[in-house]
Formats: sequence, structure tokens, C-alpha cells
Amino acid sequence: MSLLAPAPAITSFVPERAPFRWLLEREVLRYLRIWRYALVGPVLSTVLFVLVFGTVLSRHVDGLGGVGYGVFIVPGLVVQAVINVGYYNGTTSLYEARRDRYLHCVLASPLRWWEVDAALTLAAVVRGILVAGAVLVVAVPLTGIGVERPGFLLLAAPAILLVAAQFGIIAGAVAGSLDHVYSVESLVLLPLGFLGGIFYPLGTLPDGWRLLSELNPLFWLVQAGRTGFLGTADVPGWASLLVVWTLAAGLTAVSATMFARGARLQA
Amino acid sequence: MPEPALAVTGLRKTYADGFTALDDLDLTIPAGSFFGLLGPNGAGKTTLIGSVCNLVRPTGGAIEVFGHRAGTREARASVGLAEQDINVDRFLSVRQVLVYHAGYYGLGRRESGRRADEALELVGLTGKARVTAPELSGGMQRRLVFARALLNRPRLLILDEPTAGVDVDLRADIWRLLRTLNAAGTTILLTTHYLEEAEALCDEIALIRAGSIVARGSAEELRARYAAGSIADLYQRVLAVAS
Repeated sequence: MSLLAPAPAITSFVPERAPFRWLLEREVLRYLRIWRYALVGPVLSTVLFVLVFGTVLSRHVDGLGGVGYGVFIVPGLVVQAVINVGYYNGTTSLYEARRDRYLHCVLASPLRWWEVDAALTLAAVVRGILVAGAVLVVAVPLTGIGVERPGFLLLAAPAILLVAAQFGIIAGAVAGSLDHVYSVESLVLLPLGFLGGIFYPLGTLPDGWRLLSELNPLFWLVQAGRTGFLGTADVPGWASLLVVWTLAAGLTAVSATMFARGARLQA
Repeated sequence: MPEPALAVTGLRKTYADGFTALDDLDLTIPAGSFFGLLGPNGAGKTTLIGSVCNLVRPTGGAIEVFGHRAGTREARASVGLAEQDINVDRFLSVRQVLVYHAGYYGLGRRESGRRADEALELVGLTGKARVTAPELSGGMQRRLVFARALLNRPRLLILDEPTAGVDVDLRADIWRLLRTLNAAGTTILLTTHYLEEAEALCDEIALIRAGSIVARGSAEELRARYAAGSIADLYQRVLAVAS
């Protein structure tokens, strides 16, 4: 049937293939097309941290509870990489779709708001898994790190991935300019990373800094990751799991509300 | 009596800054018609289109597309939209832009690909299928936006100034395709600043000003009603009376 003739009247929309699957596929394809920036870059920078800090400094710095420093920092670096790619994904995908207005094609189509939100989220989660997996492929043989509490990690990892994805989506929806995008990266993400307990155990900090770390959401994500990999961390596993899942649920609720109301997406 | 393609009742849109773009606008467009919407910048044309296409959240009023409430999947699946701005996905190839767009309308992989290829051929972009949209010239990007609007074989095709800034050849191509589409039964809602375009293509015209329809009829009826020699005179007179 030619495109120059209209389709028959629609009484009920029944897709041959779910529009959600198309959007998810498009979102994944988008970053696979820019794989050097989207995947290799974050993996390389994280692996360099593991290499320089983990193998060189580990000879001079003690870790936590008898764990070598190289092993100690790997969970935090993996979490940071996941958070970074989550942020990059949301901002490059949603912010640019808003700025260039091709988001209109999605909003005008039969895709439902929650399908759009879910497709963006799932694509960011897949990107986080790819990056984390690639980092571990290098870091495991390099440092000898294993997974001490696989069950805990299985519970924590989805929440960490979800926090990263939703943070990026919310940032992508709220950002009004490229300046916002880059300034959040350098003024928020970077300091949170350095003050998030990736490179040091909490006990080595003075009291004021310790409180600052505990107020840092990234700290709890790192603790959850560390408990999964190393079996121990600065805070009890249940506490980090509770905070991480609360963050995941809260950010998911914010993101869903934005899409449901069309805030920053529709005029 | 067949269901109208578009039925807008008491549509109102006031933006956050207090600007009222649509002011209790009523508009019915019969199925199968070629309808022109004329008005100055800021009159509410794009806000009206956005409200129909789920891009703008109206403050009040109701919109139905072929009897389906605007915003429902059935209404959205019935509409094709080519916006005034060139808004194409810059990450994908030209063919992928079309394939995925067709997919958003629920088509299967094979049918999406087939329609994308047909659309590329219709607008003369087959040779550019593998490049990305930013690599296309402005005119080619305009063709791509137009082709994209056809992929779901819309019953209501909405074109917001589709020929703004295009060369004579492309305008002629678009006119030819629009006439073919309308002859095949597609309802077309066209906004344009080119009065001769509205007169040449549309069987009915409405003039919008400050968010309300201020005149409506065929070009001949409106010329007679306002004693205007040309559609350009008519446009000036109607808008002058309205203000």
C-alpha cells in the first residue's frame, strides 16, 4: 500500500511491534553509534584509575580491613563509572532531543509517557551494565577482586543502575543549556565522586568530612557496591541497600512525574 | 454525516508567562478536506497544532481527531506532523530516522523498512539513505521531515509552513505530493505565510488572530465577503477588522 493513501480508520491502536521496543532499540543504537565516546571513554578512564591508583599506589597505601588498596577502590570506581554514563546518557539523549526538538516525534507518536520514560531508563541501564562489565573485565585480573556477597550485589546493582539512569534523565529534562549540562558534570558529579568514599575508608576522615561524606548520595552507592564485592564497607550492608533503593525509588518517582505531567517536555 | 477529521471546541492555552496563545478557539475540519490556516506570527497556529499533536498541554477545551480524544494512541496514530522547524534525529542515518519513526507508530520491522524506502524514493533521498541528517542540505532535510510525516499513512496530515524557505523546485514537488495525498483521501491541515499557496491548494481557509478564528470559508467566499480583490487584500482586511 502506497504512502500516498491514508490508512483505514483506527478504532483501537494495535501495534504490530511495540513502539516501546523501537524507542529502546533507538536509544541503544544511539550510543552504539558513538561507541568511542559512549563506552570506550568511560571504560578507559576508569581502568586508568584502577591501573594508576590500584596497582601503583596500592604498594604504599593500606586499604580497609586487610583488603589491598587496589581491590578497595575498584567497587567505588565501577559505581562512579555507572553514575557518569547514566548522567551522560540522560543529558546527551533527552537534553539534545529537547534542544533539537526531535523529541516531538516521540511525543506525537502513540508512545505512552511511561514507555518513553522506561525506554530511556532501560537504555541507560544497559549502557551502565556494558561499561561496568568492561571495567571489571580489566580490573578483575589486574587486582584480583572477586564478589564476596553475590546475593547482596544482585540486590544492590539494579538500584545503583536505576539511580544513575534516572539522575541522567532528570538532568536531561531539567537542563536549559549546555552550560547546565557541563556545569553539573564538573560542579556536582566530580566533587561528589571525590567525596564519596571511593578512594578512602570513612574512618580516615576527620569528623566534619565524615558527615559530609555521609550526606553524599554517591557515598551510599559506593558502600553498597563495596559490600557486594568485598563483603564489608564503612556502613552496614542493610543501611546502604536501604538508602540506595530509597534513592532509586525517589528518582524514579520524580522522573515518572515529569513525564506524566509533561514537565519540561511539553509546552 | 462522517466524523470530522478535527473537532476543536473552546480550546485555550495560556503559557506560564501569562501569554494566551489560544483563546476559546473553535474549529472543525471535515474529513477529506484541504484546509489552510493563515495568520501572523504569534497568532496561535503552532500552539493549535501542538495541542492536536500532544506537544502542547491546553489549559482548557477539547480536541477530537476522527472522533478520538486528542492524546489517545488512536488519535496520535491517525496524525502525521511535519513541523515548521527541521527537527531530525542527528544520531541516526536518514533511513534509520524513517524506520524508527515508523516503528514509533507500531509498525513491524519489515513494513517499517519498506515504508522508509518508499518515503525516500518519494522525496528523492534514496541516494542519501546512509548519511546522517545533519549531512543533508537544508532542502533535503525539509524533504526528510516531510517524508517522515507520511510514514504512518496519516488520515490527518498537519504541515506547519512546509514550504518556508524552500526553493521553487521543492515547493512544486511538495505541492504535487500534497495534491496527490488529498485526492487519495488524506485530510490536510496546512499553515502557511504564502497566501498564493493557500489559495492554490486549499479548498477552505481559516484566518487566525490572537488565538481565535476570525474568518473562514473558501478563498472565493472570503474574497466576496470582504470585497477583496486578492487573497492578500483579504488577509489584510480580515486581520485589520479583527484588530
